[in-house]
Amino acid sequence: MSLGATKEVSKPRTIRQYGAINWRGLWALYSRKAVLRFLRYGLESIAGPVASSCIFVLVFVLALDGGTAMSPDLTLAQFVVPGIVMFTLAHVAFDSAAVMIIHDKQDGVIQDVLMAPLTPLEIVIGYSLGAATNGLLTGGILLVIFSVFIDLPFINPLMAIGFALGGTLLFAMVGMIVGIWSERWDHFSAAETFLVMPLGLLSGTFFSLERVPGGFEWLLLGNPMFHAINGFRAAVTGHSDASIWSGALLITGLTVILALTTWRLFAVGYRIKA
Amino acid sequence: MQSSPTTKPLSPRKMGVINGRGLWTLYVKEVRRFMNVFSQTLLAPMVTTLLFLAVFALALGGGGRQVGGVDYILFLGPGLIMMSMVQNAFANTSSSILIAKVQGNIVDLLMPPLSPAELVIGVAGGGVTRGVMVGFVVALGMSIFVPLSIHNAGFILWHAINASLMLALLGLIGGIWAEKFDHIAAVTNFIITPFSFLSGTFYSIERLPENWRFIADFNPFFYMIDGFRYGFIGHADSSLAVGFFLVLIVNIGLGFTAHRMISTGYRLKA
Repeated sequence: MSLGATKEVSKPRTIRQYGAINWRGLWALYSRKAVLRFLRYGLESIAGPVASSCIFVLVFVLALDGGTAMSPDLTLAQFVVPGIVMFTLAHVAFDSAAVMIIHDKQDGVIQDVLMAPLTPLEIVIGYSLGAATNGLLTGGILLVIFSVFIDLPFINPLMAIGFALGGTLLFAMVGMIVGIWSERWDHFSAAETFLVMPLGLLSGTFFSLERVPGGFEWLLLGNPMFHAINGFRAAVTGHSDASIWSGALLITGLTVILALTTWRLFAVGYRIKA
Repeated sequence: MQSSPTTKPLSPRKMGVINGRGLWTLYVKEVRRFMNVFSQTLLAPMVTTLLFLAVFALALGGGGRQVGGVDYILFLGPGLIMMSMVQNAFANTSSSILIAKVQGNIVDLLMPPLSPAELVIGVAGGGVTRGVMVGFVVALGMSIFVPLSIHNAGFILWHAINASLMLALLGLIGGIWAEKFDHIAAVTNFIITPFSFLSGTFYSIERLPENWRFIADFNPFFYMIDGFRYGFIGHADSSLAVGFFLVLIVNIGLGFTAHRMISTGYRLKA
């Protein structure tokens, strides 16, 4: 027994009141758990993807022997840059969401999130918005760097923001589901190699729809990443390969479905609660 | 206490100049380490490389484009094989050493009767094995889509082994130097990936602006990609003889550096 405890004139403890949403808890989860953690490893988590995206653009510009631009109205760099920005942004959102959850699971600190007075919905919102913020941050830095060297007209900034948000949220959800499902790091890297990389590389980041051999167009048209990139590119440069509205609809629909799935997974505690 | 009457008295195991059994054990441990997760270490590089092939062939190969006197896809194929080999050879040794350091089981390498030279050979041998195996698997997968033909098998083997060895040694040195995973990620992101991407994997070096040619002239990555590609298509951008000896000299230098680091215990022994 500590003697000091009796001297303390403490106010009587009351239960903290909050409304339908635990705003303080949500903010703590979003800022401390998701965003600040990401920024702490800035060299690896931001500079790495930024450097490899710049290398990709450089390689493409050097490897192209002139003349075979993707479309008559755009240079190759103008075509490739919006795609690379979108791909990096989505990839970072995926990575960040999955890595957060796997780390928390492996270190056992996921208990801290599950025990806190946060509903499953709040947990999903906190984690996914955090991962989305990290993706948008990286994408924003890339856009700033590229716009120094390459002429990007930004025809429709609002639409660009919309598609960036859609793409990053969609892949944040994919990352959360992968994070919940993964029991080891192998599982995560398998998902990255066999799901995210193919979606990202076979997405029209680097080539337009007309380049795809006949009979394989469905591969692109069924790929949500293609629609995210296409919409973003349309907003930045005005060049579009497919219907923008149906793309926006597809991304929104998929994001909602995956968000509901993630919410269910947290609610039932799949691979999280014993 | 139970004493069995039939035990022979223990005597120190005799070995010659080289501890063959220890070296072999270390080598096998290094190989098993990556074979355990072969879907991550062999299949994943193949899938990624084939995706790159598809992307670059679709984006840049249109209209029967010729580079270095052959179709673009034939030019690209060997470069991609080499890229996957070097990245995996580096990843193997660097992660092996760094994980051992972080987990503390590096003492299991330092305590046994293995000399620094044996350690270098055993660990680097594992990296070379991974590099060459990845190269083989990637080439196998690629040959479904690309009509790879062999012009000079000697150059292919020489550069495959030397390139894997060079990156395995670099990975060993990097793994010894690194203290956190961030460090090795930084080396991969800012040194290994840029070098393997920008050294003529995807384009003929003639594409570089005049005052950037020095990137190629003093760059062992360029010589090994170029020499390796010569083995397939029979066309080289650089002097083959220079490349042949340069990779050997660089490897000897790196081997001595790694040996020195282990024998002085730099960041390994307290």
